Amino acid sequence: MKKIESICIIDDDPITVFGVQKMLSLTVSCDNISSYVNGKKALDGIKKNLEEGANLPQVIFLDINMPIMDGWQFLEEFIALPSEEKVRINIITSSIDAHDKEKWEHYQTRTDHLITYNNKPLYKQQIAEITQKA
Amino acid sequence: MPKGTEIDNQKYLIKQLPNATAFVNVDFEVVYASDKWLKLYNLKASEVFGKRIDYLYSNSNNQITNTLSDCISEKVDKTFEECKYDPSGKKWFEWHCNPWIDEKENVIGLIIHTEDVTHQKLAETNLGRLRSKLDIISKIGKIGSWEYDLAADKLIWCAVTKKIHEVAADYEPTIEEGIHFYRDGYSRNMIAMAVHDAMTKGTSYSEKLMLITAKGNEIWVQANGTPVYENGQVVALRGTFQDINEKVISENKTKASETLLHTLIDNLPLNIYIKDKESRKILVNKSECDFLGVNDPQELLGKSNYELYDSDIAEKLNQEDQQVMDTLVPIINKESSIRQKNGKTTTFLVSKIPLIGEHGKVNGIVGISHDITNIKQNESKLRDLVNVASLQNKKLVNFAHIVSHNLRSHTANFSMLLEFLVDEKDEDEKKNIMGMLTNASNNLMETLENLNEVVAINTNVGLEKKPILLHEKIETVQQNLTAFLKSHNATIINDVEKDATVKVVPAYMESILMNFITNAVKYRDPNREPIVKLSFQNTNGSTMLSIEDNGLGIDLKRYGDKLFGMYKTFHNHKDSRGIGLYITKNQIEAMKGRVAVCSEVGTGTTFNIYFNEKD
Repeated sequence: MKKIESICIIDDDPITVFGVQKMLSLTVSCDNISSYVNGKKALDGIKKNLEEGANLPQVIFLDINMPIMDGWQFLEEFIALPSEEKVRINIITSSIDAHDKEKWEHYQTRTDHLITYNNKPLYKQQIAEITQKA
Repeated sequence: MPKGTEIDNQKYLIKQLPNATAFVNVDFEVVYASDKWLKLYNLKASEVFGKRIDYLYSNSNNQITNTLSDCISEKVDKTFEECKYDPSGKKWFEWHCNPWIDEKENVIGLIIHTEDVTHQKLAETNLGRLRSKLDIISKIGKIGSWEYDLAADKLIWCAVTKKIHEVAADYEPTIEEGIHFYRDGYSRNMIAMAVHDAMTKGTSYSEKLMLITAKGNEIWVQANGTPVYENGQVVALRGTFQDINEKVISENKTKASETLLHTLIDNLPLNIYIKDKESRKILVNKSECDFLGVNDPQELLGKSNYELYDSDIAEKLNQEDQQVMDTLVPIINKESSIRQKNGKTTTFLVSKIPLIGEHGKVNGIVGISHDITNIKQNESKLRDLVNVASLQNKKLVNFAHIVSHNLRSHTANFSMLLEFLVDEKDEDEKKNIMGMLTNASNNLMETLENLNEVVAINTNVGLEKKPILLHEKIETVQQNLTAFLKSHNATIINDVEKDATVKVVPAYMESILMNFITNAVKYRDPNREPIVKLSFQNTNGSTMLSIEDNGLGIDLKRYGDKLFGMYKTFHNHKDSRGIGLYITKNQIEAMKGRVAVCSEVGTGTTFNIYFNEKD
C-alpha cells in the first residue's frame, strides 16, 4: 500500500467526505487525513499547521461549490502560500459546466502544484490513481 | 434737216417739255434736249449738244448703240433700261426711243424720252427679296397661306398649304372641302364655327386643330384666319396655315413626361425637395408638405432652413447642404434625426445630391429623405426583445447547470454508497451506509422540491399583477412572523406610507417580504438586537422598496456575484440553505422588477427592490 503523509478533504457534503475517506482507507496508507466543510476552514487549518511547522498536505481533494469560500477562492489563496514542495490537488465536482473546466485550465497555468479535474462519483480504482505525490 | 426758224421754234418748245426728252440725229448726236433731260443727267447744254448720246455712257454704250441703231433701221419704238452710277448710288433710267420722222416719213433721228426709274427698280428688287424670303420662311416653318374670296366663293391655297394637306399641286379646294379636311368632331366643329364667325361677325381666329391629310395622316395644325374688308364689308378671308405636328407631339411628350415625373415625385413615399444655393426650397413633394404640416407647396417655396426649423437644427442642415454643394460629393442614406418646431423628432435616411446646372456649376441640391422612425422604433423594440430573450436564455442555461449539478451530486452519492454497501461485510457499517443513503434520498427530494419551486416561478411569468397596499402587506407578513420576531427581539419599522401601492403578484410579494425579513433577523449581529426598516420611494413613477437591517453584513466584494445564486451560503449558519435569495430574485424578476444590494460587514445590509409598474 502506498504511503502518503497527509491528505486533506475539503467538501461541504458529509457523504462525499465519508466516501472519500472510506475509499482512501482501502487504497492508501495515511495517518493524517483531515477534512473541512468549506474553503475558509481548510485554509485556516492549513495555515495553522504551517505556523506550527507542519508541511502542506501532499494530496488535497477539493470540492468546487461550497458556502463561505468555494473551491476557486480556496485555490486562489492556496497557490499564494509559500511552499517548497508540489501538492497534488484533485478537484472533485458534480459540475459539468464548461466554465468550471476553463477555470481549472486557467489555474493549472498559474501554479507549480498539480491540479486534476474529476467528476463525481469517484470509484476506488480512480482514488488509487489520483492519490499519490505530485 | 428741219429749217432754221422752225427749229428755233421747236427748240424753244422742246426746252420746255415736261418730260426729260432728247432729240438725236441718225448719228446719235444730240440735237435738242429738254431742260428736264439736262437736269436728269446733271449736264449743261454746251456739254451735250453735238455729242453722241451713246458716248455719254461709258459703261454700256455698245448695247445702247445697238438698240438705237435697231430703232432707226426698223423704225420701231424701243424701251430699255440702263443703269448708271453717280455719287448718290446706282441709278436706273428707262429709255423710250421713238424714231424721229419728217414730213416725208424719213427717219431723221430718234426722240428719246428718259425716266428715272430708280425708285420703282429698288421697290421691285425689295419685293422680290421679300417674296423669296417669305417663300423660305413658308417652307422652313411649314407655314402656308390661303385666301377665300366670298363673292366668288373661291378658295386659294398656296403651295405650302397644299403640301401640308398632302394634295396635288393643281388641287383646287372648295371652302367645304377645306373644312372637311379637319378631323371629325372638335376640330371640324371649331373651324366651321370660326370661319362662319369670321365671315359674319368679322372676327379673327387662331386655333390649334387636328387635320387628316389627303393621304390619311393625322397632324396638328395651327389655323389662323382674318377677314379682309372693303367698304366696311367682309369680302374675303385671308390666313395662314401651319404644320405644328412635331411641335405638338414633342410638347405632348414633354407634358406627359412632366406629368409622369410629378405623379412619381408626389406619390413616392419619400420626402423629396430641391433647394437653391442659399438652401431655400424651390420644389417640394407631397410627402415633404405632409411632414412639414402644410397643404400647399407654395407655403414652403422660398423658405430657408431657419424659417422651417429651430436654429440649432437649421444650422446643422445648412452646413450639410453647403458641404454637398462645396464638395459636389453626395450624401447617401445618412441616418439623421430632425426635430421639428413642434418638438417632434423624426429619424430619416437622408440623401443629398448636388444639382449641377449648365456649365457644370452647382445650382443647389436635390434631397431625398426616407422616414425610418417606425423602423427605428421597431428595431429598438426588437433589440429589447433580443436582450430579454438572451437574458432568459442565459438564465435557462444557468438553471440547467444548477439542476444538473444538484442532481448529479446526489446520484453520485447514491452510486458511491451503493458500491460500498455491496462490498461491506460489517453489519454496523452497513447500517451506517443505509442511514446515509436515506439522507441522500431526503436531500434529493428536497432539491427536487426547490427546483420545482424555481420552475414554477419562471413558468408563471404571466401571472397577473395587481396593485396592492404595500404598508398593509408588510403588516400581514409581520403578523405571520410574530413568534419568530419575538423570540429574537426583532423590531420592524414600517416606514411605508399607508396609501403607497405597488403593482405585484401578491403571493410573490408576501414571499419576498418574508424572505428578506427572516434573512435580516437570521443573520443578525449577535452584539445588537435586530432592527429591520422598510421604506418606499416613488420617483417619477418608478417605485422602490428599501429593506435595511443592522445585521452582520455581507462582504460584497467577495460574494457579490454569488449572493443571489442557488445553494450559495455565506454564513456558517445551520439554517442557511442557499435557496431563499435565489427564489426571491426569481420572483422579483418574474414580476419584471430587479433587486440591488449594498452592505457593509459589521454594519448591516440594504436590499432595494425596484418594481416595474408598466408591464
